[in-house]
Parts: sequence; structure tokens; C-alpha cells
Amino acid sequence: MSEAAKIDRPTRWDAAFDADMTDADFEMLMARPEITDIDAASFPNSVSVEGIVRYDMRVNRYNPGDIVVREGDYGNSAFLILEGELVIARSPGIPADELGRLQADRQGIMQRITNLLINNSWIPEVRDTERYTNRASSAGTQNGKQGAFLQDVPAIMRDQDTIILNEGTLFGELAAIGRVPRSITIFAEKASTVMEIRWQGLRDIMKFDKQWRQTINDRYRQTALDSYLRQIEILNDINDEEFAEVTEKCLFETFGTFDWNITFKRGNATEPIIAREGDYPDGLLVIRAGFARVTKQYGNGKRTLTYLSAGDMYGLDELYKAWKDPDTDSGGLNCTISALGYVDIIRIPLTVLEQHVFPNMQSAPETQFSLLDRTVSEDALLEWAIDKRFMNGTQSMVIDMHKCVRCDDCVRACSATHGGNPRFRREGQIFDQWMVANSCMHCQDPVCMIGCPTGAIHRSIETGSVLINDDACIGCATCANSCPYSNIVMVPIRNKKGASIIDTAETGQPIIKATKCDLCAGRPGGPACVKACPHGALDRIDFRDFHGEAFGE
Amino acid sequence: MTNFINRLTLPAVIVVLVFGVLFYAIETAKQNLEDSVMISGWVLFGFFVILALLNVRKKLIAFNFGAVRHWVSFHIAAGVLVIAIFLLHTEGQIIPLGLYEQVLAILFWSVSVTGVLGTIIINVYPRRLTDTGGEIIYDAIPAEVMALRQEAENCVIDCVNSSGQATLSDHYSETLDWFFRRPRFYFNHLLGGDRSSAWVNKHVEEVRRYLSENEETFLNQILRLALAKSTLDRQFSCQDLMRKWLLFHVPLSIALIAVSVWHVIMVHMYAQ
Repeated sequence: MSEAAKIDRPTRWDAAFDADMTDADFEMLMARPEITDIDAASFPNSVSVEGIVRYDMRVNRYNPGDIVVREGDYGNSAFLILEGELVIARSPGIPADELGRLQADRQGIMQRITNLLINNSWIPEVRDTERYTNRASSAGTQNGKQGAFLQDVPAIMRDQDTIILNEGTLFGELAAIGRVPRSITIFAEKASTVMEIRWQGLRDIMKFDKQWRQTINDRYRQTALDSYLRQIEILNDINDEEFAEVTEKCLFETFGTFDWNITFKRGNATEPIIAREGDYPDGLLVIRAGFARVTKQYGNGKRTLTYLSAGDMYGLDELYKAWKDPDTDSGGLNCTISALGYVDIIRIPLTVLEQHVFPNMQSAPETQFSLLDRTVSEDALLEWAIDKRFMNGTQSMVIDMHKCVRCDDCVRACSATHGGNPRFRREGQIFDQWMVANSCMHCQDPVCMIGCPTGAIHRSIETGSVLINDDACIGCATCANSCPYSNIVMVPIRNKKGASIIDTAETGQPIIKATKCDLCAGRPGGPACVKACPHGALDRIDFRDFHGEAFGE
Repeated sequence: MTNFINRLTLPAVIVVLVFGVLFYAIETAKQNLEDSVMISGWVLFGFFVILALLNVRKKLIAFNFGAVRHWVSFHIAAGVLVIAIFLLHTEGQIIPLGLYEQVLAILFWSVSVTGVLGTIIINVYPRRLTDTGGEIIYDAIPAEVMALRQEAENCVIDCVNSSGQATLSDHYSETLDWFFRRPRFYFNHLLGGDRSSAWVNKHVEEVRRYLSENEETFLNQILRLALAKSTLDRQFSCQDLMRKWLLFHVPLSIALIAVSVWHVIMVHMYAQ
């Protein structure tokens, strides 16, 4: 291998959100009241307001029919309407086939053959360093457009129940900050100009400007309540007028801490109680984001029955029983609910249910959780997975050690698909015969994204997988330190000749990049590790659906 | 094991159908006084090639040619079928006449036996390893052995420094040093025995009565390390076998195909 090569150490704003932002757009943004009202003096020099506007914002211009955000997509940015109007198609919703999703780059046959024949896998972590010196936007979409538009806007306006968003409206902050998918589709009915801010910039503005923080927090709560309540089945029959009353009376509560990963990694994770077994229920609990453990007293301990995640409810059957038969003594909660990390709860008060929901219910809701249908042994795996917070993973790599012949074909397959660099280790925590390997689990709540200064680590719009944009990664290791499962690895990189890449600065420190499993993005057929396992010992699973049966078949 | 049998069900059905068709073709050829050996020979050779394709499939992981586990299931089922076809081809002779054919047959039976042993190994040893605990990557075992040895030796040195007595260190260098040097009791671990722990306990306990209370603390630490080493040895033995059997099966398979190709050429040369 040749001598080390030097490049400038990447910094946060090397990869601007819009590398082609014009001075005119920049000045227009700086002149907006939303920006001029910011107290620039409260921002540190390293994160100036000008810097955020220049590097974390962009101006998108939409034609009629252009989709701005699409229901189900994972977004990392919020929007502010500068000119024109946008439309939310609220009900019955735009059919999925009209929303045309972008396809990720697929590896063609020729590319795969080339990779097979010309593979410099004997040199680890090779990068085309020339790319770094000519970085484009770090964002995944072109000028903020989803690449799709609606063909027949007048028909949609005619058939859909719509909400018009006017100039000055901020939206999308819920998905950007909460790491949740977009809950609605928003499109342009007329030509419109919209400011888009990536969540890193939004986070910094919220951190240093009280007014923005207050506005976004208020909007966050309102939007969360409205959009989530509309998805709850038992509230479907309520008319708009009554729905407004329901929304007003609902409580929006938060348990645990947003950066729960820090205490978890230190080994002193706490689980604040949301509702205690035996207590009288005062409202229906709806999980908006995060996870909650459901436990029941069993002998001298608490036995975990399951966990709740976004969209799950608790307390309906107990509340219904208490309403139907007020004289009964067994009106208390059946289980205890505690927060696993960070949980957003919507509490729908009993009075609302008594007035708008229970009278319309044809039959009593079923008892949600029972100890009768499962044994302690059957629940032990789930309990362990929850203790280790593996329930966060949507694609956890689980290996059945009773089938695994330790051949490492999975590691070799991973290596072959990633230029000779395996993106996981066949090591991990073991319970009974199940090993959860050290591979990115593509979490439902990806805390690794919290601190990324450039947005390099992001959700795939198409699949929801958590991916790292190597061009935008500055090697700060924030994601690796945040990952509660230590599944992100920092690696020193080399150029195509095999030379180590070091900083041009005097320190001469190696340039490092974050790496992790990308579920073989772009490779048809899914993760190579699963395909390569000769005995079906390895699979990618969600612990909610996993009980060990029919594994790998 | 149930999963393993389930996985083999479909390939087994296919294999039985193939065998049925082949058997019918051979019987028909015999009735028509045609050369049935040619049919069984070509089918046999074809299956050799198909079986060998498993290794090619493993290399072409970037291509969608089906999951490797399905290939392995078919490989095992077809491997059993090939034994039946071979016996059909040789008309029931396990070792046929003729030196070249005997070499061919010995290679065939070697591949078959290693294949059957391999199938047993992949079904028995993973479970045994899981039950053993102390899961470790094979390549990391030598380093772990060295670390345990280092720790044990430091323990002995600390004991001498602390007590001023050489009883434990002498005993260590006469007995336990041998155990800590490298993986031991290889075949006993493979056979599921526990001679390793018994040996350790014996050599630890026989010196215990000569030690002071202070020295016993160090002896207990060494016992803990030795039992950890015993677990590590079991991991080494089982993982080693799970890897090494392929070092027999695969090269023998390649040799079998090479010898078979020459056999086919010779048969057709003399057939003309």
C-alpha cells in the first residue's frame, strides 16, 4: 500500500442541503419575518443563523400537482410556505397508485458482474475521495420534490375533503423531529414556493430561539393530536364538530426522555410508570410514538406480557366495563404500563369516551392482555428482548444458534456485497438459542439520527431503512456513540490506491466514516446475509411478530 | 431437527420423482435392448455437476439464484439420490471391477460418506455448542486461549509473590501448564465427554491440601480460568469439526468430477 493521502477534514456544512442555492434565494429567506424575528445573538458562532439558512435550508418551487410530502414517507425536514397554497387531501385520501414512489438505485446485472470480477476487497474501506471534494446536496430528493405529481388535481379537489395551507404555514416538523413517517400527503394546487429546512437546522433553531421552540412545540402537539386521533378506529364515527371537542379535551403527555439511549447505554435505564395495575382508569391511552411495556403482577414479580408501540391503545376494555356496569368492584386496570425510553401518549378522557364513543359501540371490547394463553417460558424471550430494547428494531438480525454452523457465510456475503467490508459482526447477545447479532436493526425509533450534524444518517424514503450517506458523513461518530446497541462502526478510509486518507490539518489524523448494515440497499432480493445462510439460521425480524416459530423458513 | 426434515420434504419429493422417471427409463431401455447404462451414467454425471453448483451459487451471492438454504436442502436430497443412481449404474456393485473404476468408486463413496457425516455434523454440533455456552468466533479462539493462559500465569506469579511459597507454581508448571498451552481433549469434546473438566478438577483438588488459605484463593481463580478454558476447548473442537469436514468433502468432490469427466471420455471413445 502506498503512502497516506491528504484531504480536508469534512465539516458539518460541507454538504449543504442545497448546494446550488442562489444569493437571491438566500437573501429572500434572510428577509422573511420568521428569520428576522430570530434573536441571532443567542446563537453560537459555530452555528450562526446565516449558516443555518445557507446550509440547512433550501427553496423549493412547486408546480400545480407536485407532491410536497407523501403519506408514509420518512422525512427528515420541515417546510414553511413562502408563496402560494398547498393542499392536504384529508379524506378519503389519495389512492396509493397515484402517489408514485421513487425507486432507489438498483444494482444492474452488469454492475454485479463487474463487482464480482473487479473487486479490490483486499484493501479495506476504499472510497472515491474525489467525490468528497465535489459534494452535491446531502438530501436524497431533487430540490425537495418527491419526483411525483398528481395527474388530475381538479378531480382530487372535487372528490377529497381538503385543507388549504396558506403562506406562513409551517408543516412537516412532526416527522422531522419525531422520526416518524409522514401522516398525510400535501401537494401544490397552484404554483408555490416553499422553504424546506432539514431537521438538524430545525433542531438548532429550536435550541437557541425561544419563539421558534414555543411555536413548534405548540404546533407539534396540535398536529399530533389531530392527525393521530383521526386514525383511531373507535373515533371514526364521530362527526367533525364533535371531533373538535374530542381534540380539545384530549391530553398530550410525554414519559421518559427523548435521548433515552444515553441512560440505557450507561446501564441505568428507568421505566417511568404510565398507568399502574389496579388503579382506576381515567382515560384511554393511545401510544403516539415510542414504546411501553405491559406488565402484570405474577408471584413476587412483574411479568411482561407484551409491549405497545405507535398506534396501540390501552384501557378500553376496563373503561367500557366501568361505564357499562358502574357498580362493579373490578374497575381497576388489569396491567401496568411503563415507558421504555421515550413515549408520547394521547390520553382520551373517560368523559369523552362516555359521551362520544361508548354509546356507539355494538359490543364490549375484548380483554387486551391475559396471562392465560401463554406460559412464563413462552414470554421469557419477549421479556428479554424488551429488557435489551431489541423491540426497537424492525429488522433485527436474529440467528438460531441451534441451526447455525458458524461457517460465517453470512459475513462473507455481506463483505462481498460491500466491497470486501462486512457491515456486521456475528457476535451479540444470546438468549436460549437466539442470538441478536451486532447488525443495524433499522430501529423504529432510530436514536442514532438524533445528533447527526449533516443528515448523513437518514431514513430511506422508499423503505424506511436507516442508511448513511457516505458523502455527507463527517466522521464525528455521534451516531456510533448514540446507537444503544453499538451497531455503528467508525472506520478509517483509504483511496483507490490503498493509501490511508488523513486530514490536511497539522494533526494528520485519519479521516473516518460511519458504517453499518444498509440491508443491502439497491441489491435485488434483499439482504445478502439472509440469502447466504446455508441452513436458514439467520433472519431479519421484528420482535413483535417473533416467537421463534417457523424461523428462517 | 423437525425444521431440518421440513426443509427436506419438497426436495425429497422431487428427488423421488426423478428417481422414478429414471428407473422407468432404464427398465424401458432394457426391455428394448438399449444401453441403459448410458442413461444412468449421464444422469449420474449430470447430478454430480448440479451438486457441485452449490459452491458456485455461494460465490455468486450478488445474484438472485434463490436462497442458499434451498440449494443446500436440494443438495442433501440429491446427494442421497445420487447414491441410488450410482448403484443403478454399477448394477448393485459397491466397488466395480477395473482399477480406474475402483478409483472412481472409492472417490464417490468418500464424497458420499463425508457428505452423510457432514449432514450429521451440521445437525448435532450447533445445538451442542449452544448448550455449551461461551459463544466465540472461531478465529478469536487462539487469542482467547492465550489470554486465559496469561491470566493463569499472572495468578501463579501473584501467588508466589504474595505467599512466598512455590507449591502452587511448581504444581502449575508440572500439570496445568500443559492444559493452558493449547486446546486439549479434542476428540473427547467431539464425542460429548467431559474429561476436560474432570482432569482439571483432579489436578486442582490434589494440590489443594498443601496450600495455605491465601494460596487457595489463587487456586480457586485458576480453577475458574481452567473451567473457562474447558468451555473454550469444547467450542474449538466443535467449531473446528464443523469447518474441517468440508475440507474433505469439497476437494474430494472436485476430484470425483475430474475423474468422472475422464471416465465419460473413455467410455465414449471405446463405445465408438
